[in-house]
Amino acid sequence: MEIPYTTDVRPDTGLTNPKLGIWLFLASEVMLFGSLFSSYALLRSGAPTWPVQHEILSVPLAALNTVVLIASSVTMVMAWASLAPHIAAVRSGNRDEEARSLGRYRLFMGLTLLGGAIFLVVKTIEYSDKFSHHLYPATNNFLGLYFTLTGLHAVHVIVGMIVNAYLWGPGARMWHREPERFTNRIEVAGIYWHFVDVVWIFLFPVLYLL
Amino acid sequence: MAHDVATQVRGYMLVFGALLVLTLATVGMSYLRLPETPAIVIGLGIALTKASLVAMYFMHLKGEKPMVYWPLGLTAFLFIGLLVSVLLAEGDHLFGTQFGDAFTR
Repeated sequence: MEIPYTTDVRPDTGLTNPKLGIWLFLASEVMLFGSLFSSYALLRSGAPTWPVQHEILSVPLAALNTVVLIASSVTMVMAWASLAPHIAAVRSGNRDEEARSLGRYRLFMGLTLLGGAIFLVVKTIEYSDKFSHHLYPATNNFLGLYFTLTGLHAVHVIVGMIVNAYLWGPGARMWHREPERFTNRIEVAGIYWHFVDVVWIFLFPVLYLL
Repeated sequence: MAHDVATQVRGYMLVFGALLVLTLATVGMSYLRLPETPAIVIGLGIALTKASLVAMYFMHLKGEKPMVYWPLGLTAFLFIGLLVSVLLAEGDHLFGTQFGDAFTR
């Protein structure tokens, strides 16, 4: 059975199902992270004292992670842009263009995966450093919030990387059979990945700089 | 077609440049050690700008259909409602006001 509206838009919404689906999913994710951010705001504003965040956490490491994630968002959108203009060529049987665009896509998707990996490595270094100084989630409210927020975010990065790895590897076979449907998959996976970047864009100033 | 792609890619690179500049700005700002309120306003303001750039250009939100805008708008409204309701419930404790008994008097 074929899944409807993966390339054709629905006449009532004007969107493909995956496009609408990912945005609705992201709306729910906004409420998830939003509730944690508002917990931070409430706990911090009501606390008699609050640790000096940049003395506990490493601003340079987090700034590096910010640049890495932003760069991975750029490479993700470039991965989509490597495919989108060449859909017609694949349909008309231009094998050369098909192979070249797939190669460019794999390069950019690979760089996106690399960015995600670097982010997680830096996060691991940060966490181990905290643990080695006996700073745990249970130590105080700030650390509880820090580990919860960044931990949940890291889980989202891991899930995104699993999806992207599938789309880089076995999933890419769809480029040959259904190029437009595959391109739409990359766009939707990209929207999720950009959201993960946006969450970090807020996490960085809130947890490290304020 | 190739020209369109080049324009698009150039757009992405410009956004990337802007994001890097804003990241530099937000880190630089933090070293000024401003008092709490301006620090929060400027820090979150820069974050909001960066997030908008990513949403508008990388997520292709600019020029999207109303069917995407409306749920997102509703989400933003409900999220602000969430924050406000928390503030209203705990406001006395935070701002030293005495409105807690207002409904029972």
